[in-house]
Amino acid sequence: MTDDVPFLDRIPGARRHWYVALGVLLIVWPIAFGNFWARIGVGALMWIGLAQSWNMIGGYAGYLDFGHGAYFGIGAFAAGIAMVQFGFPFLVGFALALVASAAISYLVAVPTLRLTGAYFAIATWAFAESMKQAALVTGITGGTFGLSLPRSPDTLIGIAVPFEIGETFFYYAMLLLCLATMALTYYLFERHEFGYRVKALRDDQDAAESLGIDTTRVKRQVYVLSCVVAAVFGSVHAWYIVYIHPNDVLAPIITDRMVIMALLGGLGTLTGPVAGGLLVFLLERLSSVFLGSTTFYLPLIGTLIMVTVLFAPSGIIGILRGEVDRDDVRKNVRELGEKFDLL
Amino acid sequence: MVDIGLFTQIVINGLLLGGIYVTIGVGFSLAFGVLEVVDFAVGEYVMVGAFMGAVLAPLFGAEGIFAIPIVLVVFFALGALIQPLIHHVTTGDRPHPLLMGLVFTFGLATFLRGSVLTIFGPNNRDVPSSLLTGGVAVPGVGTFPVVRTVTAVFGVTALVVFMYYLYRTRGGMAIRAIAEDRTNARLMGININRYQSIAYGAYAALTGSAGVFIGMTFTANPGMGLQYTAFAFFMVVLAGMGYLPGVILAGIVLGLTQSFTAVYISGNLVLLVLFAIIYLVLLVSPAGILGKGEWAT
Repeated sequence: MTDDVPFLDRIPGARRHWYVALGVLLIVWPIAFGNFWARIGVGALMWIGLAQSWNMIGGYAGYLDFGHGAYFGIGAFAAGIAMVQFGFPFLVGFALALVASAAISYLVAVPTLRLTGAYFAIATWAFAESMKQAALVTGITGGTFGLSLPRSPDTLIGIAVPFEIGETFFYYAMLLLCLATMALTYYLFERHEFGYRVKALRDDQDAAESLGIDTTRVKRQVYVLSCVVAAVFGSVHAWYIVYIHPNDVLAPIITDRMVIMALLGGLGTLTGPVAGGLLVFLLERLSSVFLGSTTFYLPLIGTLIMVTVLFAPSGIIGILRGEVDRDDVRKNVRELGEKFDLL
Repeated sequence: MVDIGLFTQIVINGLLLGGIYVTIGVGFSLAFGVLEVVDFAVGEYVMVGAFMGAVLAPLFGAEGIFAIPIVLVVFFALGALIQPLIHHVTTGDRPHPLLMGLVFTFGLATFLRGSVLTIFGPNNRDVPSSLLTGGVAVPGVGTFPVVRTVTAVFGVTALVVFMYYLYRTRGGMAIRAIAEDRTNARLMGININRYQSIAYGAYAALTGSAGVFIGMTFTANPGMGLQYTAFAFFMVVLAGMGYLPGVILAGIVLGLTQSFTAVYISGNLVLLVLFAIIYLVLLVSPAGILGKGEWAT
C-alpha cells in the first residue's frame, strides 16, 4: 500500500527534498518574516508571473512584444474603473479585466501579428504608448488624476469577508496566481500539443504551415493568452497598491522589465522567467535599499543583457543546466576577437 | 478658418525639422542594410548626443554647436567598437539571430538610458546656444527660426557628405556591396568586418550629432530616446525597407506631421497620430508609401 511509503517519497523527482522545503518556505514566508519581506514577496511573485506571461509570446512563440505592459495597465484600469466608477466588488473588476484584455488583445492581434521581428516590436510598443496617451485624456480612467481604489473587506466579493485584506492576503493571492501561471505554462507549453505547435511556429513558420498548423490561429491564441495573464496581475496589483495612475501602470518600464526578466533567465523555458524575475527584482530592490539609487540597476541590467546575449544566449537557465561551459565561452571570445578588425 | 500665415509657418518649422530626421533615418536604414539588424539603440544615441551637447556646451562658452566635432569623433569610435559585438550575436551557429540582434541592441539601449538617468537624474537639461536664438523674418513667407535652420542645414550637409562617401568612393562601394550581398562581397575580397565597423560608426556619428541639434531645438531628457527610436522605425516603414530616397520623403513627412499635430491637435498627441499613420502604412502598403522598398514583415 502506498500508505506505508513516507509522504516525501511519494513526490516525484530526484530533488524532492528541495521542492518540499521551497513549498514550506513559500507558505510560511509572510508569517515568518513580517510585513517588509511579505511586501518583497508580493513584488517578486508578481514580476515572476508577469515575466512568465511575456515569455509565452516572447520566448515560446518568438514574437518580441514591446507593448505587453499595456495589458498590465488595462487589467489595472479595468478593475479600478469597475470598483471606483461603478462601485462593483473586486471580483467583478477581476472578471472585467479578463474580458477587456482578451477583447482588446484579440483586436490588436489581428493586424499586428502579420508583422514579425522589429516591426512587431515597434507596432506593439506604439500600441502601448497610445493606450497610455488615451488613458491620460479620458475621463473614466481619472485622466491625469488617477484612480483611488477602496481596500476594505467588503470590496472583495461585495460582502464583508472574515479576514484582513492586507500584506499577507496579497502575498497569498499573488502566490496563488503565480503558481497558476507556472502550472498553466508547464501544461500548455511543455506538455500539451499546443506547445509543440507554438514552438514549430517560432522555429520556422513556413515549415509549421506545411505541417498543417494554422499558424495565424496559434499566434493569436498565444498572444491573447499571454495578454490575459498580464491583465490578471495588473488587476490584483491595482487593488494592492490602491492608487493607480496612467504614468505608473502604463509606463514603458513595465514592459522593459518583463522583457529583461524573461531574457536574462532564458527565453522559452519554464524556469527562466523565475530566475530572471527574481534576479532583476532583487537587483532593483537591493540597489534602491543599499545604494539609495532607484535607477542604478538599469545600466547594470543592460550590461547583463549584453553579456548574456554575447556569451550565453540561453540565459541563466542555460548556464545552470550546463548548456554553456568554459570552452564555449572561450570559443566565443576568440570568434569575437576576430571581428575586431578595424583599420 | 485656416490662418495662411500660421499655416506657412508650420510648414517651415516642419520642413526644417524634417532635415534632421532625415539624417537619423538614412543612418538607421544603412545600419539595417549593412548589418541586417534593426537597431533599438538608435534613439538612445540621439539622447546621449543631446546630453553630450549639454555637458560640453559650457566648455565652449555655452555654445552647444561647437561640441559637434567631439560628438562625431566619440560616436564614430563608439559605433566602430559596438558593431563587432552586434555582428557577433547575429552570426555563427546560434538560434534566432535576428531576435538576438534585437535583444542585444535593447540591452545597449537599457544600458545607455540607465547610465544617463543615474548620472544626470530624470530632469530636462538644456543644450545652450546663445548664437542660435531668434529667427530671420522673410517678408511674405514667415520666420525662419535660426536653431532649426542651422539644424536643417547641418542635416542636409551631413547627408550629402555621407552620400558622397557612399556613392563616389571605394569605401562606400564596399559598404553598398556588403548591404547588397554579404557573401559575395566577401568573395570579392572586401574586408567585411572593417567596412561594417566603419558603416556603423558613421551611422552612430550621424545620429549622435543629430542628437545635439535636437537637444538645442527641444531639450535633453533621459527618456527621450524611445521617441526617436520610434521615429527612426517610422521613417523606414514609411520609406520602404532599404530604399534610401524614400527616407528623405519620410523625414519630411515626419517633420510636417509633428508640427501640424502640435499646433492643430495637441502637442501630447503627436506620437498617437504618428502611430496611427505607421499602422495604416504597415497594413495597407508594407513596402512603404512609394511602394519601392522591401516588404516590411
